[in-house]
Amino acid sequence: MKIIEVNNLTKSYGTNHVLQGVNFHAQSGEIIGVIGKNGAGKSTFLEILMTIKQYDAGTVIVLDENIASLPMNRLEQVRKQISVVLQPTQFYKTLKVEELLKLFKAYYKSDLDIKKIIVDFKLEPHRKKYFDKLSGGWKQIVSLAIAFLSAPKLLILDEPTTGLDPHMRNMLWSYITDYNKRTGGTVILTTHNMDEIELYCDKVMLINNGVNEVFDTTESILATGYKSIHEFYLKRVSI
Amino acid sequence: MLATQLKYDLLMFSRELFYLVFTIFVPPATYIFMGQLYGEQSYAGNLSYAQTYTPSFILLITFTVVFFAFGFDQVVHRTTGVEKRISLSPVSKNTLLLSSIIRSTIITSLGYGFILIIGLFMFDLEFGLLSFLTSYGFFIFLNAVLLIIASAIYSFFQHMNSALVFSIVVFQAVIFTGGFAMPISMMPKFIQVIADFNPMYHMNNLFIAVWNGQLTFDQNMFLSIGYIVALVAVALVILRIQNKRKIG
Repeated sequence: MKIIEVNNLTKSYGTNHVLQGVNFHAQSGEIIGVIGKNGAGKSTFLEILMTIKQYDAGTVIVLDENIASLPMNRLEQVRKQISVVLQPTQFYKTLKVEELLKLFKAYYKSDLDIKKIIVDFKLEPHRKKYFDKLSGGWKQIVSLAIAFLSAPKLLILDEPTTGLDPHMRNMLWSYITDYNKRTGGTVILTTHNMDEIELYCDKVMLINNGVNEVFDTTESILATGYKSIHEFYLKRVSI
Repeated sequence: MLATQLKYDLLMFSRELFYLVFTIFVPPATYIFMGQLYGEQSYAGNLSYAQTYTPSFILLITFTVVFFAFGFDQVVHRTTGVEKRISLSPVSKNTLLLSSIIRSTIITSLGYGFILIIGLFMFDLEFGLLSFLTSYGFFIFLNAVLLIIASAIYSFFQHMNSALVFSIVVFQAVIFTGGFAMPISMMPKFIQVIADFNPMYHMNNLFIAVWNGQLTFDQNMFLSIGYIVALVAVALVILRIQNKRKIG
């Protein structure tokens, strides 16, 4: 089942033409990594998919809806099926972790048990802590726990593992891959860590000079002779 | 959903020391302090200190709550990315806005009661049910006016620091040119001119008049109401434009 279809997408900020004709599609159950250098337009692309950023031209269909022409009530229906982890992750800073989970459970009208979520995400030692006082890694874990409250069809993560130590990174990825296998949900993420792309992603989209220069499976890219996705990136993208 | 949001909005307010100091502690403490200094004097309209400054300080609390905990809070959420994250959740903007308005009304009503009780027990303020109900009704109207104006003003801010500096400067300006520190007629001429452009000065005068049953339909009253209505109209236009920009 097709979850996202993007054709000839363009977006500019004044004279800065960030996206100049991006084509992209995602099927149900895929994990897709979006890579590119800083300022390439990765976050802009994700925010357009999240339906929170307007674009200049092209077609963007998310969960069978053309988001350009959607009235607000139908846009909210689409958003109900999407969960996100933003970079940086921010929530109400004076709420404690457990309170945040309860508040978002109410937003999503979720049936999930908060106690189970706290156990599943190993949040027991942190449930009484203010979100603002958590380390970057635990903020990301809480953000992911909140993202999973809605059992989303589409999970969009903007640099979810930036600044995390290897253990936290592994933990985060185990939740993401488990969600993907368990629910068949689609995952789209940006990262600067090419090892993660190689280890966990089915497909890679490289945004360079405003277009999707490469959009292929990880295996196909490696089959063309690159020793790793890291090498592929270094050879394809100049500073 | 609204009840849950309101519960957490009130909880968050109670945990913000900055808001609490400026809204719950500073105005009542100043009210008591000034009462100790000038409690025996009489003011315009042959009113006592309590008759003049009880509505004034209720209005001052309303101003600080609405400008800090409602307006400035919007900027904080916008600039830290909280607004963006919440906008991606299936909670309607109307629920968030309504909760925020109810929160402000609850807190300002508590401030109303707090100042009233201090006035009753410390400054021999007289209590009449009809005048209380009339004053409270007018106070709710002023709440709505301030919420609209604050929303419009803070919609321009994209940086938290500039909003904070603005809030503190405006707080000082409002105290001195709104008639909250001492009667404007006792201030230098240039302050009196500035006061004419300060909507809080007009609201203060109207509220004192309503509180004491002295509202007369003269030119000054019509000027004050006309000025406030004009500002609200401008604020509503600004909010409409800003909201369109956000969507577009």
